[in-house]
Amino acid sequence: MNFQRIFALARRVIQQVLRDHRTIGLLIFVPMLLLTIGALLFRADPTTFPLGVVNEDEGMSIPLVGSLNIGERIVTALQDSAFFEIVPVTAVDTETKLRDGTVQGVLRLPPDFSAQFLENRQAVLDLRLEGSNPTHSQVIQARVMEAATKALAGLASSGFGLGAQSDTPAELPVSINASYLFAGEEFDTMDFIAPVYIALLAMFFVFLLTCVSFLRERSQGTMERLLATPTTRLEIILGYILGLGLFALVQVSIILFFTIWALKIHYLGSLGLLFLVVALLAFVGVSLGMLASAFARNEFQVVQFIPLLIIPQIFLSGTFWAVDDMPSMLQPLAYLMPLTYANWALRDIMLKGFGLVDIWPNLLALFLYGVATVSVGALTMSREVA
Amino acid sequence: MNAVIETHQLHKHFGNIRAINGLDLQVGQGEIYGLLGPNGSGKTTLIRLITGLLHPTDGRIIVLGQPMPHKGVLAQIGYMTQASALYEDLTIRENVAFFAAMCGGVSRQRVNEVIALVDLTDRANSLVRTLSGGMKQRASLACALVHSPRLLLLDEPTVGVDPQLRATFWAYFRRLADEGTTLIISSHAMDEAERCDRLGFIRRGKLLAEGTAVSLRQQSNTPTIEAAFLHFATMEQTENPSQGEANA
Repeated sequence: MNFQRIFALARRVIQQVLRDHRTIGLLIFVPMLLLTIGALLFRADPTTFPLGVVNEDEGMSIPLVGSLNIGERIVTALQDSAFFEIVPVTAVDTETKLRDGTVQGVLRLPPDFSAQFLENRQAVLDLRLEGSNPTHSQVIQARVMEAATKALAGLASSGFGLGAQSDTPAELPVSINASYLFAGEEFDTMDFIAPVYIALLAMFFVFLLTCVSFLRERSQGTMERLLATPTTRLEIILGYILGLGLFALVQVSIILFFTIWALKIHYLGSLGLLFLVVALLAFVGVSLGMLASAFARNEFQVVQFIPLLIIPQIFLSGTFWAVDDMPSMLQPLAYLMPLTYANWALRDIMLKGFGLVDIWPNLLALFLYGVATVSVGALTMSREVA
Repeated sequence: MNAVIETHQLHKHFGNIRAINGLDLQVGQGEIYGLLGPNGSGKTTLIRLITGLLHPTDGRIIVLGQPMPHKGVLAQIGYMTQASALYEDLTIRENVAFFAAMCGGVSRQRVNEVIALVDLTDRANSLVRTLSGGMKQRASLACALVHSPRLLLLDEPTVGVDPQLRATFWAYFRRLADEGTTLIISSHAMDEAERCDRLGFIRRGKLLAEGTAVSLRQQSNTPTIEAAFLHFATMEQTENPSQGEANA
């Protein structure tokens, strides 16, 4: 073993990396970026949920003690809770407000709520949940339970003599009767994550495939030859989108059928629409790949784009953290990620069974994103091929 | 003369490097014009300017009557790059057919015809990455020829090509010229120069001298093209020493 040779080799490797300013930049900058995003996400303050309340409770008047309205007390307790933002809702518009996302749940207190409670010593809360995000559903139920328990405990101490039977927390006279607009109890976290898995995989592979094919086209000189024919840049780009998009669609069909049949993922909406979303996403993936390849000189640098372009998208597009749950300073970034729109659209289709009428703004956003990226990509292509 | 290529005071600068520095060139139809110069003299830059792949810093280029860059004219131009520039994971036929489709209006029969012309018929269905350097070079020529261009730009087409094949190439170039095709052939191999109709000595982005091989030798009073080139290069350097250094 010759140490001189080993040192000479090490020195050469160091020289090469040092000469590659982009790699140096990525080595320093990307970990800091990813750590910052991660820290902000994991330390995020719990968000407040918009909760609708239909309080029709007429209360009860009890001789000698006075009038009693338990419904009102529960509403007050919910308003005092830091977890909810109370939105007044009527029984009639409950479903529409849940559907359009104004509220995530609606608590309905019927006219005889107080009367029933006094008779049965048991409060059953009728809670209607939006239901597409299982984590949200669970948290809302627990928080409503907490607030209602507090309200009833206050009742006991104010001398209604109700606390007698419920000295131990285990026997609290509150229960929740939950119902769901979309999805529901049988939907678990995997159902919530599956749509974005599909989006992520579709986009990621098409992006890589395009990056590498385009890079090869440049490095083997065929791009120069292609540009010396009457073929326009737009034609080249559209050809790539068509060709690689086909593979994206084949891949997505496999992912889709595997998730539905083998992994038994719940699925509500139309298959055709789902394909449309994925096709648009593939279009974005191809155009992003072309754009990225313009800034890469070799396959090594393409790999470096993954932590820069792909991982932040996974963090920030609502894949694991719903965009509403993200710290407000990161939320604008979510709107910059094409994956965000695909996630919204795919979740709306798969979990809520939404149609084109409901999700078209997301499709439009994806389309515009693709067009913008293609345009910038075409501009970088006309940078003289060195 | 029926000019196929005309450049007027052509400049192409990359930063402070003057790759093409005030070059005037006229090439007529059916001519084989040899661009002769050492590596880095501006041959490839000039060819890429003619295709419109590069935009001139200053000056004008007119190709087949159109100021470049012009996409339409490219259908009439065949361009063979220095490296073979083929899709390695496709067969020869697939490569030729692809570039034919990019130019449009080429029959399948023509694809087979060009492959036969470069003597690759029995390897037509082989993947390019399995070919030898000379075969790649021939396949590359087939791609540049398939759409029967009126102007053929060949950037060092005979580098790494064995003498026998080189002779075949030149016989074919001559035939094309006789049929009216204009050819620009760049080379740093001076011995090939004799086969061109006209030669341009290019150095530091400028034409040093122009003419037939015979006239260039006579003008410089030298026995070989190589000596003629050195003669003109030395002359230019003594006339214009400061500029030579600025470019070095």
